[in-house]
Amino acid sequence: MIAEAKDSKKKPNQISIHQSERRDSNKVWDFFCSVKLAVVIILVLVVACILGTVILQGKTLDEYTAKYGYALATFFRITELTNVFYSYWFAFLLVLLCANLICCTIKRWRNTFMQTGFVLTHLSLILILIGGVVKFQLGVKGGVNVYEGKSVNYFLTQMINRQGKLDYIKKDLPFTIALDDFILEKNEPKFQLVSYIKDKDRQKILEVKVGQKQRVPGSGYKVTIKDYIPDAELKQEPINTSDTPDNPAIFVKLLDSDKVTAEGWLLAHDRNYYEDKKQNLRIEYIWLPSQEELEKAVSSIETARPKVSVMVSAQGLSQDYPMEFNKTFKLEGTEYSLRMLQYVLNYGDRRPLSEQPTDNPAVQVEINGPEGSETRWVFEKFPDWDKMHPAKYKNLKVTCSGITSGHMARNTIRLFQLPDGKQVMVSIKDNHIVSTIPWELEKKYTITDMSRQLMVSNYFPSFDFKREVIKKSDEVGVPAIFVEVDGPSGKVDDWLFSNQQYATWYTDNNLALVYESTGESVKHFTSKLRIEEDGQTVAEKTIRVNDPLTHKGYVIYQSSYDPEAGTFSGLQIVKDPGIPIVYSGFGALCFGVVFIFYIKPFLRKKQKKRGGGIMK
Amino acid sequence: MSLINMTLIVYVIASVAYIAREVWRSGSTRWVSLGLLILAFCLNLAMVIKRSVEAGHPPFSNLYESLIFYACCTAFVYIIFEFIYNFRVVGALASVLAMLILLYATLQDDSIRPIMPALKSNWMLVHVVTYMLGYAAFGISFVTSIIFLVVKPFAKKETKAVVDEREILPRNFDKLSYKIVAFGFPFLTLGMVTGAVWAKKAWGDYWSWDPKETWSLITWLAYLVYLHTPLILPKMNVNKSKASVILACWLLFAFGIVNFTFVGLNYLPSAADSEHIYGSQ
Ligand code: HEM
Repeated sequence: MIAEAKDSKKKPNQISIHQSERRDSNKVWDFFCSVKLAVVIILVLVVACILGTVILQGKTLDEYTAKYGYALATFFRITELTNVFYSYWFAFLLVLLCANLICCTIKRWRNTFMQTGFVLTHLSLILILIGGVVKFQLGVKGGVNVYEGKSVNYFLTQMINRQGKLDYIKKDLPFTIALDDFILEKNEPKFQLVSYIKDKDRQKILEVKVGQKQRVPGSGYKVTIKDYIPDAELKQEPINTSDTPDNPAIFVKLLDSDKVTAEGWLLAHDRNYYEDKKQNLRIEYIWLPSQEELEKAVSSIETARPKVSVMVSAQGLSQDYPMEFNKTFKLEGTEYSLRMLQYVLNYGDRRPLSEQPTDNPAVQVEINGPEGSETRWVFEKFPDWDKMHPAKYKNLKVTCSGITSGHMARNTIRLFQLPDGKQVMVSIKDNHIVSTIPWELEKKYTITDMSRQLMVSNYFPSFDFKREVIKKSDEVGVPAIFVEVDGPSGKVDDWLFSNQQYATWYTDNNLALVYESTGESVKHFTSKLRIEEDGQTVAEKTIRVNDPLTHKGYVIYQSSYDPEAGTFSGLQIVKDPGIPIVYSGFGALCFGVVFIFYIKPFLRKKQKKRGGGIMK
Repeated sequence: MSLINMTLIVYVIASVAYIAREVWRSGSTRWVSLGLLILAFCLNLAMVIKRSVEAGHPPFSNLYESLIFYACCTAFVYIIFEFIYNFRVVGALASVLAMLILLYATLQDDSIRPIMPALKSNWMLVHVVTYMLGYAAFGISFVTSIIFLVVKPFAKKETKAVVDEREILPRNFDKLSYKIVAFGFPFLTLGMVTGAVWAKKAWGDYWSWDPKETWSLITWLAYLVYLHTPLILPKMNVNKSKASVILACWLLFAFGIVNFTFVGLNYLPSAADSEHIYGSQ
């Protein structure tokens, strides 16, 4: 508007050359003064900023090529789209913005009080941009890791070089930083109770409050925590509950010249073997129902066949099948059939079977039913795996056992037992039966070719555990909670331990509870630093995040630490001479906007009320 | 009933009351609807306070906490405006907006986690509070822009009696939106500046072009454009009526940017490198 007024005042008969010069310079001046230019620059900056977050910034050429392909990566590099905020064209935009700001501010400068805000905001942005240039030209930013008790007098800065590779540049410091001590403080571990509802695939954290009945959100289950022990231990004492052999078990000891090297319970129906891979020794405990079976078994070197068992939970059926491949088993009383496809000793291991350790044995099965076929892996050590993972035939629970027992060790000892008390021990070596003798309790038997002896020291016809939860201390160690769940099949209660590996399932296999630690989190990490110059200590401070040390224009920040051993401290070192300029800009900006949008309207209103002359 | 459900319901009832007030247009319904919204705000504030006490730190350490606080600020800023200006219908949508924010909060993980060391700073407190007040104002300007755009085609035919002379009619909501943005913009600026100062203290640099920083700059620039555009549209031969529509549309768009900056950054490929973005677990 002012420019127009000037033009109209011009006399038409001015010398033409001068006039056109004036006009041109006026045009340039007007261009740099216009808000239109301001808005256009800002919009272009917005687009640049968006590009700078959509395209990954500051990566190496290899990373770009891998992500975007060679052509696009090259294009990004040439146009500096890989480094938008430090590119020449972005800098050019900022210079243009600055010019625009300066011109418009000068043009509209009236030196009136009401204009304070306008002038301050516009100048503040210029200050901030100048401060940014100073930082870019004279500032440095890098980092260094210092070990406890050691010192450094340099740090490293990172940059992408012309070849698009990551480069570290060593920068010397005019002093030495010594790390006297590094302290990592952790928060007390916290524990949470997580509920999981399978058919809704929904997980929720429940409150751990003793005595309060709470609903599991989105379901009809009610959970009550009835007891809490901050440091609990589960004592399982083996006991014999009756003389009828319901769950026969023997306690076996391995001795090396009267010293016990290994001992433990073998359960006929459950964990019925012990294996010592190093010694290549295997001990099996086999319970047989009759004399005929025993006769067959003692003369055979066949290994116990692994079996796959299928439970149809809806009908409450359970069936066992021997592990035979490519044979279809019909699940009696149901519409399902099952086929075993393959097995591994260590799931995910690419090596041939004979080289795999028996760490995670699994069988792959195919289930055929009314909705077509489903293939799933069944893990011996994770019998609940299929419950936790979506499957087509959710109501079919498939488990497997004894896969490892399919492998014959060099030395195998079989301890047979019959209901009538008959006990036979068969030693097999290299697939040959070496001896067949009766065995008795408390007697030592030497194992062929080995210095080891074997002794069965106890026999429980009906083995069971007496479970008892005891309190070890009042401090938080391994906390446990006693939980009662009320659901469609009534009330069930159990202890949940925070160190338990698996979920605890409610009887309908739909609700699972896990009581677990949320993990230790870091509370504080601090470094006790000492600054030395010529061997003299000139400054000392314990720094932590949010509280750095400043010396000779360098600011030293606590930025990270050694996550494994916690022995080194990661320091960030920054020097930025532009800070005073930028912070003045920040102050002016804040005051300016508050002035424009709060103080000025307020003053205007007051003026209007007084009916006085309008101040510009 | 849990506090959060109660708050949600009172927001809905307040919204209905505002619509009722719009239909009957009697003076007394004003206090009913405003009273309900103030009640909802108090409940929301109680949630914020309860959460800070339970967590033992200011309630902005994760997305759940920030959203609850954001809803609270939205109600607060609206209530302030209702005391300053006398306008219609805005309250109905403002309480729906606060309700939606709260509803979105219920979808987030609400477990209490210890806060990381960098968040233990007074700058962070000022930073978040000012930002949320700014965002809340932009939310209200979003609402007024919607109403303006909806009412605009019928503006001339409007004949209903005006109850209160000072009442701002929806056809003048373009000016109202400007005032609300002008109220919020200083807060946004303060939020950005205090954020920069905090970053300098905690990470050694006031600005590092982190995605969150960059997007908050984009937000700021979007509203800066809005504040400067009225100066150029008349010069570009855009008539007043068209200009007001363009500006209202720009506010809708800018509020989209606000929300993206707030909760959408996880979708960016650069999010993985950021120290700043709310975790997506
Ligand atoms: C915090 C940021 C800013 C605020 C609060 C602000 C505020 C203002 C205000 C209130 C005016 C009107 C002055 C009057 O009518 O006397 C104005 C004008 C102007 N602003 Fe800004 N501004 C800001 C940033 C910028 C930026 C980044 C640019 C870009 C270069 C810019 C360019 C302009 C221009 C060119 C004018 C002149 C308008 C004219 O000639 O009529 N402003 N600004």
